Amino acid sequence: MEPVLSLRNILKRFGGLTAVKHVNLDIFPGEVVGLVGDNGAGKSTLIKCVSGVYHPDEGEIQFMGQTMAFSKPIDARRVGIETIYQDLALAPNLNISANIFMGREAKRRYFGGLIKTLDEEKMLSESRRVIDSLDIRLPNFGAQIDKLSGGQRQAVAIARAVYWNARLMIMDEPTNNLGVPEQRKVLDLIRKLRESGVPVILISHTLPDVFAVTDRIVVMHRGHKVAEKQTAQTDSQTVVEYMVGARSDVRAD
Amino acid sequence: MSKRFLLLTLVGLLVLSIAPMLAVAQDDDTITIGFLPGVVDPFYQVMEIGVRQAVEDSALPVELVVQIPENFNPSVQTPILDALVARGDLDYLIIAATDKEQLIAPLQAAHDAGIEIISVDTFIGDGDYVNGPVTFPLSYIGSDNVEGGRIAAEALAENVGGTGKVYIQNVTPGISTTDQRAQGFREGIAEFPDMEVVSEDFNNDDENTSVQQTSATLERESDLVGIFGTNVFSANGAGIAVQNAGLSDAVDVIAFDATTFAVEQLRAGVVSLVIAQKPFDMGYLAVQFAIAHNQGVSSLPKRVPTGYAVIDIENVDDPEVARFIYQVE
Amino acid sequence: MALESQTDVSTLTATQQSVRAQRHVLLTLSRVWAWVFLIALIVFFSLSVSITSEGDVNFLTLRNSQNILIAITPVLLMGLGQTFVIIAGGIDLSVGWVMGLSSVISALLARDLVARGIDPTPAIFLAFAGGIAASGMVGLINGLIIARLKVPPFIVTLGVSFIVRGVALLFSGGQTVAGLPTQLRDFGNESLLYWVGGGANQLHFLRRPEVTGEQLRALDRILGWPVVITAIVVAIAIFLLHKTQFGRHTYAIGGNKEAALRAGVPVDRHTILLYVMSAVTAGIAGLLHSARFSGGSPTAGDPLLLGSIAAVVIGGVSLFGGVGQISGTVIGALIIAVLQTGLVMLGVEAFWQFIVVGSVVILAVLIDQSRDLIIGRAES
Repeated sequence: MEPVLSLRNILKRFGGLTAVKHVNLDIFPGEVVGLVGDNGAGKSTLIKCVSGVYHPDEGEIQFMGQTMAFSKPIDARRVGIETIYQDLALAPNLNISANIFMGREAKRRYFGGLIKTLDEEKMLSESRRVIDSLDIRLPNFGAQIDKLSGGQRQAVAIARAVYWNARLMIMDEPTNNLGVPEQRKVLDLIRKLRESGVPVILISHTLPDVFAVTDRIVVMHRGHKVAEKQTAQTDSQTVVEYMVGARSDVRAD
Repeated sequence: MSKRFLLLTLVGLLVLSIAPMLAVAQDDDTITIGFLPGVVDPFYQVMEIGVRQAVEDSALPVELVVQIPENFNPSVQTPILDALVARGDLDYLIIAATDKEQLIAPLQAAHDAGIEIISVDTFIGDGDYVNGPVTFPLSYIGSDNVEGGRIAAEALAENVGGTGKVYIQNVTPGISTTDQRAQGFREGIAEFPDMEVVSEDFNNDDENTSVQQTSATLERESDLVGIFGTNVFSANGAGIAVQNAGLSDAVDVIAFDATTFAVEQLRAGVVSLVIAQKPFDMGYLAVQFAIAHNQGVSSLPKRVPTGYAVIDIENVDDPEVARFIYQVE
Repeated sequence: MALESQTDVSTLTATQQSVRAQRHVLLTLSRVWAWVFLIALIVFFSLSVSITSEGDVNFLTLRNSQNILIAITPVLLMGLGQTFVIIAGGIDLSVGWVMGLSSVISALLARDLVARGIDPTPAIFLAFAGGIAASGMVGLINGLIIARLKVPPFIVTLGVSFIVRGVALLFSGGQTVAGLPTQLRDFGNESLLYWVGGGANQLHFLRRPEVTGEQLRALDRILGWPVVITAIVVAIAIFLLHKTQFGRHTYAIGGNKEAALRAGVPVDRHTILLYVMSAVTAGIAGLLHSARFSGGSPTAGDPLLLGSIAAVVIGGVSLFGGVGQISGTVIGALIIAVLQTGLVMLGVEAFWQFIVVGSVVILAVLIDQSRDLIIGRAES
């Protein structure tokens, strides 16, 4: 099977510091890959190269078989790489459908497109459709985002990505700051995404979550990819040893 | 941001420190006169014309240095004043002080540096340079605003037959000139037993507010006969409110200061009377005082009121009156 | 699987339902509070003016309503663009002097074009176009510096307002630009409808009836041209803010600029457009000023700046961005104007007027804040 995302020899420097060192990584359709590592291990930097925030200094990013050079985050989103950040990237003062359609609002045209108004009905019904398809239940579609719980907001962000045909979903600490029942619901959503064939890269410090939903775990330490294991064939103890540098599958510089 | 700001500040300081060196030293026979009015406006522009005319008419060599502040504000005027003093070549300074208290110290410093001060239009201290707290300036040449208000009251009373209710449209409380005009107007109206000032409102120098307040007052006082606008904007707004209420033939509006715009509104029937100060005379006289002092005249009067002219639609084309319009070509 | 199940109405107890009903009333009330406040003011002045005045003086008259409508036009126009800017999380402190600049430029153009033999009507149109173009340029400069160079709007628009002030004073020579065509004066002071009261009771459309004396005093101008123009701009603003993508993006930027950027909202371009819009509505106020007062005045708008921001804030626009409506700004402007007119009609002494206006502004904003509390509690 062809990988959806293929990273070849990625290297990223900040001044004298090399944050990511020659990392190779393939992500295949319908799999959930956990990306773990201590703070400063380089996992966020690596992910920001994929989502277009940073440009790698060396190496190649291939997405759906094509070499990519993103100059802005929007370039990555255009090809279907959706990143769900911790701060969620939602406007708290707008309602659910307005957020799902933010920047890509549905419009009605009058006078041959001379005057365009928002098509609220279409945005509402489409939002309802995608939210329903993910088995999410939300109180009131007219509610502003700041009236929703953390898990509900997470769900809206995921629904938005799904609606806009995400081909790869990157989730950065999606369960942080959530209560336990809500954490479980977010993990359910990740499984739901896998069922629909969308691969997910999950960045998390919470190892139980990572073991609960991932198919594969990639460990980074000091900029290196030090391990890549099938989730079913490893355990927390081993992963932690890789995380702290006690074990490594690559030779250090 | 802060770096850029710092850089700009440094450059500014550098320029300021070099500036005095650039001033050219004058030869000793020339009388050097500085002119520092209050702000850019036609009143002071006409005064400047008077100043320049006097310099031109002078038989002696006079060097003139003119600086005009962008705002009528002591914190804008004081640095300019300090810079003029720092030139080191001024013999006389003709100034319209923008604050009667805050300008005392800087002007004292200028005087101590050997510059003789002549006040025009406005004064420092209490304006009494003989017995008042401030006596170092040579003279105060300017209109008496209280007298101006009184003249407005008399002119209005004459127009309306000495009877009826009147209203004052003032600018902002705390401006000495307009407050004194209103005070003089009240004093003048008090001379007429059948007349009464019903109220006074402040429009914040905004014609729109003047219209609003005057309209409301006209609703309340249906028998109003006159309105005193303490400056041109106040009077113009009041006049437009009167016109739109269909009361032009019943209510007289008096404007203070004869700007070309005020005179145009007089011709258009929006205002009925215009009280003109004589800024040209102030500027001309101030230069003559400086030259006279330079020539050793020691008996110059410490206070010269320059008086007023009352302009109405009858006399506006009379050249003797028209010359008091603040006309800048 | 569901994230949060919706509360099932059937399981609610009777008390819960009655609490819900109460909250609903509170919520509805708080949403229309500004109207309630305005109506309360009008009722208060109607009663107090009739009671305290000698003779037949009424607050609620046709003439007074028109006086108030015309009084709010400049403040409202400045506030309309400002509403968009503040909702998007910015502020525009330059609108006061932009209004002055527009007044000066349009007056100079009208005067000079007519002096060069161009017919007054096309000359006035060109003059208006010139005033708006000059204002738009200022807005463009504001927007470019804020969006591209990332300087805070407070600083940029404050700095630009100084520059515009200088330019307006330079163009006008510091004085009111006089000598304007009389057609301009008519446009500023005539109206769509005329009512001749005092027994005659005739309504005239577009053409002012030739009346004199007592009838002239009974002539009311209904919907003066400045009011008509302002109403059109209000309608456009409502449409833009509440019905179009442009308005939605304005809210999105004010709510979470970073999110809007990531979602593909053209934040920079939008920001630039907002400041252009703000300057243009202020510019329209400047044109109308030249027309009403038949003079181009550089200082026309400066005294109105704070009042216009007050109107926006009283109307419920949050200075933190993201929240607000055009109707709020309209009501905010009306509240201030009704208050000012009412106090003068009551004969309240000028110094007390300042105190009362200031207190009511604070009170209005306080009520608006507690409204947020009520909504928050009712919806949770």
